[in-house]
Amino acid sequence: MHMSVGIGTTAIMLLIYFSLHHILNETALISITIFNFLFIFLLLPLEGPLFQKVYLLVAGNIVGLVWHFIKSSFGAASVFYLGADTFKIITVVIGPIIDLVWIVSVWSLSLSVLASAKRRNEGDGENN
Amino acid sequence: MILVLNMIFVFLVMFMSAYLARHYIFTLTALYPQKGHPHHTPNDTAYQPTVSVLIPARNEEKVIRRILQRMTELTYPKEKLEVIVIDDASTDQTSEIAEEFAKEHEYIKVAHRSPEDGGKGKPAALNHGLKYVTREIVCCFDADYYPQRDILEKLTVCFKDPKVGAVQGRVTVLNEPNTLVTRLVALERTGGYRVDQFARDNLGLIPQFGGTVGGFRRSLIESLGGWDADMLAEDTDLTFKVYLAGYKVRYVNDAECYEEAVENWRSYWRQRSRWAKGHMQCAFRHLWPLVKSKNLRLREKVDGFLLLNVYFVPIVVGLAWILGATLVLIHPPSWIKILWATIPISVYSSVGNFAPFFEVGIGAYLDGRKRIYWLIPLLLLTFMFNMLICTKALIDLCVSKITGRRQHAWAKTLHNGRGNCYLDDAKEMSPAIFHFFLDLFGS
Repeated sequence: MHMSVGIGTTAIMLLIYFSLHHILNETALISITIFNFLFIFLLLPLEGPLFQKVYLLVAGNIVGLVWHFIKSSFGAASVFYLGADTFKIITVVIGPIIDLVWIVSVWSLSLSVLASAKRRNEGDGENN
Repeated sequence: MILVLNMIFVFLVMFMSAYLARHYIFTLTALYPQKGHPHHTPNDTAYQPTVSVLIPARNEEKVIRRILQRMTELTYPKEKLEVIVIDDASTDQTSEIAEEFAKEHEYIKVAHRSPEDGGKGKPAALNHGLKYVTREIVCCFDADYYPQRDILEKLTVCFKDPKVGAVQGRVTVLNEPNTLVTRLVALERTGGYRVDQFARDNLGLIPQFGGTVGGFRRSLIESLGGWDADMLAEDTDLTFKVYLAGYKVRYVNDAECYEEAVENWRSYWRQRSRWAKGHMQCAFRHLWPLVKSKNLRLREKVDGFLLLNVYFVPIVVGLAWILGATLVLIHPPSWIKILWATIPISVYSSVGNFAPFFEVGIGAYLDGRKRIYWLIPLLLLTFMFNMLICTKALIDLCVSKITGRRQHAWAKTLHNGRGNCYLDDAKEMSPAIFHFFLDLFGS
């Protein structure tokens, strides 16, 4: 059930992204897809309420989009001040790390939320 | 020329992807273990072979009392137990402390090494201790370790299966709250043991003997010639010797033992350099015998191949990073851009104890941790460190091959005993519960 809802949510979001392909490059699409993949197959099956997981999944996607837009904005500013060639070199060299920082952070944060919820449930169970 | 570089880049990405797939499968396996392969410790108190515990110690006065006290508290029948402390020519109070315990407990013995013979590394010390062993099973613990009271029952029961040649227990970090490094090492250990070793055991692959918190059949270790003093990763070397000899290694997740982790980056560098060089030595030594062996199944060979080459991964990631950036900058075909985008995940796939961030995270979740996830992004630091460590290790090995200089200088890890302050809390709880309280109250 949780997996189906997660896959459905992701499919809808990916459709929206592909319709925005003129403002999202392939690196952004791939990093968001990687996040969704890891979320769906590793976090959705864990214990926790469905609405919380869907909320975290959607929030993660929004963070990914915002991250991409901020990165693009910095890129535009860098091109203006540093020139296109310097910008390209910087983007290519540190791009792989920059793109993954949000994935690791948001995925870990989501796991932390689910782990806390699980602990709370276990505590409630013991109290009852 | 460009075509050749493109092909090399694709090969490197495929190599990294193989590790990613492997660790993804491990993570899923830890979450959903195979039902037909019960992993809990077999509950068979009727099978209790005689056991010798080897504790190599060189200048360990700050921690040796702790483990010897623990040896006296083990629940294993004392008539079936002997504890041999190998005093590796210590210049501090290690020898005196060990002798104190030997006087009070007849099953504790001390094997001294002379200053001329001693100080040549842990494998040499263990070989010395092996001469004094009289029991069926040989277990090893480092001097800074602190095992559960019933750990020997949990480890030795696996030897009921005659195909099992060695067994490995779980290592968890005692001094986790001390520094950022100890916290990151704790994360690495979680991924490495709770997910990686567990999954390899569960899938019937090659769980690794880690050199401590584990044991061997005495007959097997003697037939294999003991520990190879020329190898810097004598534990990995033995793991493959065991498999090539037709035996298996089992991992017991319930058999937990605390360790005192390195506390600063300098010690981390020294320890990991030794591991990296040793692992690479093992790769050079065992890759071909592994491929040829008739004692291993295909899945074991594939896993063994990946395990032996794991310390090359940070180097491969670095190479792919440089090569990919170069290719993207000089008018690449579009598919290079897509492959380029896979490098970041591979970068994280190599963090820490060579476990990807999701593997570490799921390990912490399975352990019931609550807060430690916040540190996962910082594993990037250890990855950067490991990239340098492994590259230098490979260069050092190549230089030593060319010049003929031997690479067996043993860099001993110093233990300051600062983990002792957590012992009162750790004594009566399992590591999972202990770490839950650490999460709650921090340091």
